[in-house]
Amino acid sequence: MLKKITKTIENILNLFPSFFGKISSWLILLMIFLSSMIVILRYVFEIGVVAMQELLVYSHGMLFLFYAALALKDDAHVRVDIFYRELSVKRKRMINILGNLFFLQPFAWVILIFSFEYVYFSWSINEISPEPGGLPFVYLFKTSLIIFPILLIFQSFSELTKLIFNYD
Amino acid sequence: MIDFLPLVLFALVCIFLLFGFPVAFTLAGVSIIFAFITSFFGVFDLFLLETLPNRIFGVMTNSTLIAVPLFIFMGVLLEKSKVAEELLLKMSYFFSGFRGGLGLSVIFVGALLAASTGIVGATVIAMGLISLPAFLKQGYPHDLSTGLISATGTLGQIIPPSIALVILGDVLSSAYQQSQLSQGIFTAKTISVGDLFLAAIVPGLMLLCFYAIYFLFKSRNLELISNDEQRSIKAIDLIKVIAPPFLLIITVLGSIIFGIASPTEASGLGALGAILIAMLNNKLNFQTLSETVKQSAAITSMVFIILIGASVFSLVFRGLGGEELIEQIFNSIPGGLFGSMVLVMVLIFLLGFILDFIEISFVIVPIVGPVLMAMGADPIWLGIMIAINLQTSFLTPPFGFALFYLRGVAPESIKTISLYKGVIPFIGIQLGLLVLLAIFPSIVSFLPNYL
Repeated sequence: MLKKITKTIENILNLFPSFFGKISSWLILLMIFLSSMIVILRYVFEIGVVAMQELLVYSHGMLFLFYAALALKDDAHVRVDIFYRELSVKRKRMINILGNLFFLQPFAWVILIFSFEYVYFSWSINEISPEPGGLPFVYLFKTSLIIFPILLIFQSFSELTKLIFNYD
Repeated sequence: MIDFLPLVLFALVCIFLLFGFPVAFTLAGVSIIFAFITSFFGVFDLFLLETLPNRIFGVMTNSTLIAVPLFIFMGVLLEKSKVAEELLLKMSYFFSGFRGGLGLSVIFVGALLAASTGIVGATVIAMGLISLPAFLKQGYPHDLSTGLISATGTLGQIIPPSIALVILGDVLSSAYQQSQLSQGIFTAKTISVGDLFLAAIVPGLMLLCFYAIYFLFKSRNLELISNDEQRSIKAIDLIKVIAPPFLLIITVLGSIIFGIASPTEASGLGALGAILIAMLNNKLNFQTLSETVKQSAAITSMVFIILIGASVFSLVFRGLGGEELIEQIFNSIPGGLFGSMVLVMVLIFLLGFILDFIEISFVIVPIVGPVLMAMGADPIWLGIMIAINLQTSFLTPPFGFALFYLRGVAPESIKTISLYKGVIPFIGIQLGLLVLLAIFPSIVSFLPNYL
């Protein structure tokens, strides 16, 4: 019974991170399209497109920020594993619990708290691109700085639930 | 004691990394906790953390590093669409006819794969699975075969267009500007990723030649077992497999070298080219594409979250006065630039046992780079030295990454000790090249200066 509840909690917590991650991963195709188009437009039609360049930058930023939490779920963040890989399952579990609590959580919370004013300011002036012909959405892009730590915090709690209750 | 706090932080980070929690979060987490503790004693100013969002935003808008996910996608797709495997198989059939031929084919394909995928693990594993059995069947000694595979497998670090060089180029260029600013030069000269690519070509080719010479020399008296089942393969078939990846690399590199496209744009074209190649080979379906997208996103995110973790670390490191400390240490080392360079090279070599190219570029190079450049080191030369040094480190027993990958796929009959023995001559070749580059820096600089 307890297992069922905790399993549900774990899955609810990773709902958002997985959703954001899956969507954002496809941004790579948009990036390929944009970067190739920029070259072609410049050489064939001799036009430079600031807006397209900025969209490329935005796609890239959102790709790695929004995928970070899903990568945590899939254990895709690289570890120094010379000793780790030899450890028992129990030890590994301990390291991951402590790491989530003392490294990952403080990191995500610091980014969240310190970014708040930064992003709020950007929204309050409706910050737009400094380049002529650029995108007027800098404040939206900067909001990724808030979404990124929130996704990480959710995923980290989901991992902790799994590590503490739902291991087998 | 307080003066040495930055080094204490560095030592703590290294110790905690060894526990095996993901690098990015360990880097950031240890630094943040350290910042809080030291601020409690009034040594660190917590207000410095307020610059963090702006730094992360700098990572988000860094236009040079956009090439990283695009090159990653290109490499992953070429691997998933089995271009690499096909190439290795056909080449080994073709070349198994004469003595040492198989080795040459591995060197050639290794270079091509290195240039197109740049993913060390993938190359070593592919060659370990496909070429190693071919070597063994023909009766090549274990140590010679595994040594060659590990060495060519790690070439992905330095043969352009490699992801490692993109990252290193970006880090070096900001380190270079910083070092000039600190010397009061405000019209700072710049270096680009393209310069680094150009500079890596000659040393990379030299390594390939040295490997080939060594291999042919060692296999000159071997009694090889000829294949009974003569699988003859026509030259035209061979060209069909070699041509697409070869053209892809020429296009990507050529467009950067001749200034047609920036590295970022060239990487976009490269990714597009990889999609076309996969389509031509009838290997592009939804499943492959979605797996490639997923894997590229995971690697990309991993790289950039490390960069964010590293910028938290460097923020705290600098806030504690780390820069001044490093400068003092370097200035007190006898031998000036030469002495400092030796120290840095040894340090990077040792760190290469536990850290990846990415972490070393993001954590170590920004700290030591500006000081070395201020002492007169050429940034591009420094970059190539670091790259080759790291490649050597990845080969060195018992911790070299390449050896782990190869051990994972090599048959049980090959002893780990012969794996270790096999790489030693290749490590010698690498170190020889490093010494050569130290004595004749023009090997690195003449191509970027010429073009």
